[in-house]
Amino acid sequence: MLDNSVILETKEITMRFGGLVAVDNFCIQLKKTDLIGIIGPNGAGKTTIFNMITGIYTPSAGDIILDQKSIKNRRPAVITQLGIARTFQNIRLFKDLTVFDNIRIAGHFRMNYGLLSSVFRNKKFHSEEKRLENETLELLEIFDLSDKKNYLAKNLPYGMQRRLEIARALATRPKVLLLDEPAAGMNPKETKELTDLIRWLRDKFQIAILLIEHDMKLVMEVCEKIHVVDYGMQIAHGLPKDIQGNPKVIEAYLGTQ
Amino acid sequence: MDYIAHLTLNTGIFIILAVSLNLINGICGQFSLGHAGFWAVGAYTGAAYSVYMALPVPDFINLFISCIVGFISAAFAGVIIGVPCLRLRGDYLAIATLGFSEIIRIVIVNLDVVGGARGFTNIPNWSNLFWVYSWVVITIIIIANIINSTHGRAIISIREDEIAAESMGIHTFKYKTLAFVIGAGFAGLAGSLFAHAQQFLHPNGFTFLWSVIILLMVILGGLGSITGSIIGAIILTVLPELLRFFGETISQWRMVVYSLLLIILMLARPGGIFGKHELDIKSWFRRSKL
Ligand SMILES: Nc1ncnc2c1ncn2[C@@H]1O[C@H](COP(=O)(O)OP(=O)(O)OP(=O)(O)O)[C@@H](O)[C@H]1O
Ligand SMILES: [Mg+2]
Repeated sequence: MLDNSVILETKEITMRFGGLVAVDNFCIQLKKTDLIGIIGPNGAGKTTIFNMITGIYTPSAGDIILDQKSIKNRRPAVITQLGIARTFQNIRLFKDLTVFDNIRIAGHFRMNYGLLSSVFRNKKFHSEEKRLENETLELLEIFDLSDKKNYLAKNLPYGMQRRLEIARALATRPKVLLLDEPAAGMNPKETKELTDLIRWLRDKFQIAILLIEHDMKLVMEVCEKIHVVDYGMQIAHGLPKDIQGNPKVIEAYLGTQ
Repeated sequence: MDYIAHLTLNTGIFIILAVSLNLINGICGQFSLGHAGFWAVGAYTGAAYSVYMALPVPDFINLFISCIVGFISAAFAGVIIGVPCLRLRGDYLAIATLGFSEIIRIVIVNLDVVGGARGFTNIPNWSNLFWVYSWVVITIIIIANIINSTHGRAIISIREDEIAAESMGIHTFKYKTLAFVIGAGFAGLAGSLFAHAQQFLHPNGFTFLWSVIILLMVILGGLGSITGSIIGAIILTVLPELLRFFGETISQWRMVVYSLLLIILMLARPGGIFGKHELDIKSWFRRSKL
């Protein structure tokens, strides 16, 4: 049975920074396996939307609902534990740690032993560490990073760092994955691979994905629905083909003559 | 001989101090400058136990209890200071912790039960090399085991990127506080061992300068490396004694020598002697087979 109830909803969220309204009454609804894109010119407020959903900023107004519960005043760590994971526009890996540790850290909150077990290295410690190790290796395999597991994250090529960041987000076992410009800085070949990866992730893990992207080809190809923001306002939303021809969108991108 | 024993004992105490500060500054990346304060709390509470409340049991059990008393009270001070201060970052945290450790010292100056400005006397001489180094080993094992566990990785991730760590579901404030409190606790334990070796405590023995020296030990060895902190502690406890051989004047210029040493080190090896790495004896053997 296909379960397509709403998993994440933002209700007229607004973010003000002093006098600047970075995001104005933004509304979006994600169903359980939706793949939705957010596009808009630079400074439109896209990343700010992600920062509100993940609790890095608390919205000045409005509400955010995950699984029928408000997560508006929760701290980022709790929101991640409740099922929203993200990547960052300017990659935020643990640069000086290995690929393996980057992923392991994302499994931390699901670990089930206390500080005393760490000190005394009891059975629970070993079994939990073993479980985490296996899960980590499995994920590295899926993302084709197994042979790089002992590399420091900073030593990976750029495209691979992006991939690792997505893998790390998935290691938190999210219900909703937020990707902030995952194709930025990638070459056409890497972008093509990413396009396939994103689709495949949604199908394999059965998660909702919200994608910010400047690469129109990728967005149009992969997203089922698109929201367009400009100066913090949502100026259009709908199917990719409708967005492409929308005069307001064209104006936002090209400016008025 | 007595002199060497005393120096070795002090070195052990500073190893505990450096390794515990490394947990806060090197592993968790929180710039604390208040370690002398926690050291003082442990020294005074541990000594107060022995002077006023010692049980009719063998000395080494009383020493053990006083170490635990020192640990718990310093850890408690760590909670009180850490919770407000750890919301601050970088330089602000350093200044706040420094301020708090001076407050601790001033409180002690005004506490008559522990001698106030006159100093705390008649502390029993229970510390010895065996117990100090037992605690050195225990401290290193506990801290190393914590670091090499999921809790330690959570602490390390905060140093690497606090926002990313929080976004990975790690309660960063909780883990910062945890690292801070454990670090403070072990400084307190070192304090108690110190009190029972010196038999006399004075508030001026715990000035901010000592926080700086302990920090120097950690930086010298390499922020984030336990082995580094141990080596750093050994170097900076033995070095001033060696300087004495060069006469009184050089010895008085000890802080200048430290500074020069540090500048040279930072130019040659900016990450400290060991960087973030640990001394790995096994890998030496592996290499030597080639
Ligand atoms: N913490 C902040 N304080 C003040 N202003 C901010 C803050 N964060 C974002 N802004 C402002 O909010 C607006 C929206 O920024 P945001 O980063 O969300 O844009 P964006 O759509 O992600 O742009 P880009 O495509 O360049 O990534 C910008 O004008 C930005 O300067
Ligand atoms: Mg952005």
